[in-house]
Amino acid sequence: MTLYPDYPVLTERLRLRPFTRGDVEAVYAYRRREDVARYLFDVALSREECAMAVQQRIGQVALEANDDKIILAVDERATGQLIGEVSLIWRSVEARQCELGWIFNPEQHGKGFATEAARALLDLAFGPGDMHRAMARCDARNLASSRLMERLGMRREAHFREHSIVKGEWDEEFIYAILRREWQARPDMAGDR
Amino acid sequence: MTNSILPVQTDRLILRTFERGDIEGVAAYHALPTVQRYVFSRTRDSSEVAAALNIMRGHVSLQRPGDTLTLAMVRKGDQQIIGHVSLHWSDATAGQGEVRFVINPSYSGQGYANEAISALLDLAFDHYRIHRIFTRCDGRNHHSIKLLQQMGMRLEAHYREHALFQGEWDEELHFAILDREWQRSTKVKDLPPRHRVA
Repeated sequence: MTLYPDYPVLTERLRLRPFTRGDVEAVYAYRRREDVARYLFDVALSREECAMAVQQRIGQVALEANDDKIILAVDERATGQLIGEVSLIWRSVEARQCELGWIFNPEQHGKGFATEAARALLDLAFGPGDMHRAMARCDARNLASSRLMERLGMRREAHFREHSIVKGEWDEEFIYAILRREWQARPDMAGDR
Repeated sequence: MTNSILPVQTDRLILRTFERGDIEGVAAYHALPTVQRYVFSRTRDSSEVAAALNIMRGHVSLQRPGDTLTLAMVRKGDQQIIGHVSLHWSDATAGQGEVRFVINPSYSGQGYANEAISALLDLAFDHYRIHRIFTRCDGRNHHSIKLLQQMGMRLEAHYREHALFQGEWDEELHFAILDREWQRSTKVKDLPPRHRVA
């Protein structure tokens, strides 16, 4: 089973599509920010690092084997502006496990865009991707991210304390997950954005 | 680090590294279906038990991350091997270790596992200077869950259907404890009543 989604993936307000070389400036606009890097494993990126990251993402559009990644640019359809990125990583082909991720430009926070994009990603993972379980992780201090996962109906499965050192500090991490049958049985989500 | 700390003596047990002659003692519990249900290494016949014992005999000290120390639980009275405990040094930078344990079901419920794991935690925190110990168990393994809770370990993770184990969806719990959270049980012992001051 492999996953080659049809692009673009459209939602009500968003377009999820592969990265192109022209995306460097828009990515740099948020990946350069300390407040964005704070809860990522990456530090804030330089323009050159952004160019390299975008170059790498251009080819990350399908899942064929363990640890393959799909990383997509998220455009607001109304403006055509790139507002963030989402990722889907195949953690186990055998057990049909995947990991979700997202990074959004803080200028666009609070509008429900990340929720909308993450839902499209879950539809992709559990639909054509045929995954059994999707998980995502975040720093325990990253309220915006953990609330997003709760809004998606994900369950907090782990709360690790001081299990590793990240950027010179003890790390505290949440892991959230949702099973295919839980995603498919979720109540109508209209209006809870 | 040196091995002068071994063997470890507890009230009722000697914890020592495995020896070639331990094969029957290990086979007596490791090949049992109730044990096989929850362990990673398959030891259903004598050749598989011998292979597992060979590996465990090599687990004699923690020199570098990735090393494992495995100790047989030997009863002081009858010298019976009733199980084993192991400490795996998973990460040096963040001082992380994993504890695993197996006990012969015939001897469970008498506090032996608690006694052995407590001694191993003392060793991990005091001698090896580990910062955090975690241990994993199957979600159906009620004896282990109760034991780990009694020892003051925190439930940090409850994964559901996150992997396949022995052909079934796995449910896995992670318990953890930090060095500052561990209540050293062996340091202060209750005195027998006749020695109590008041």
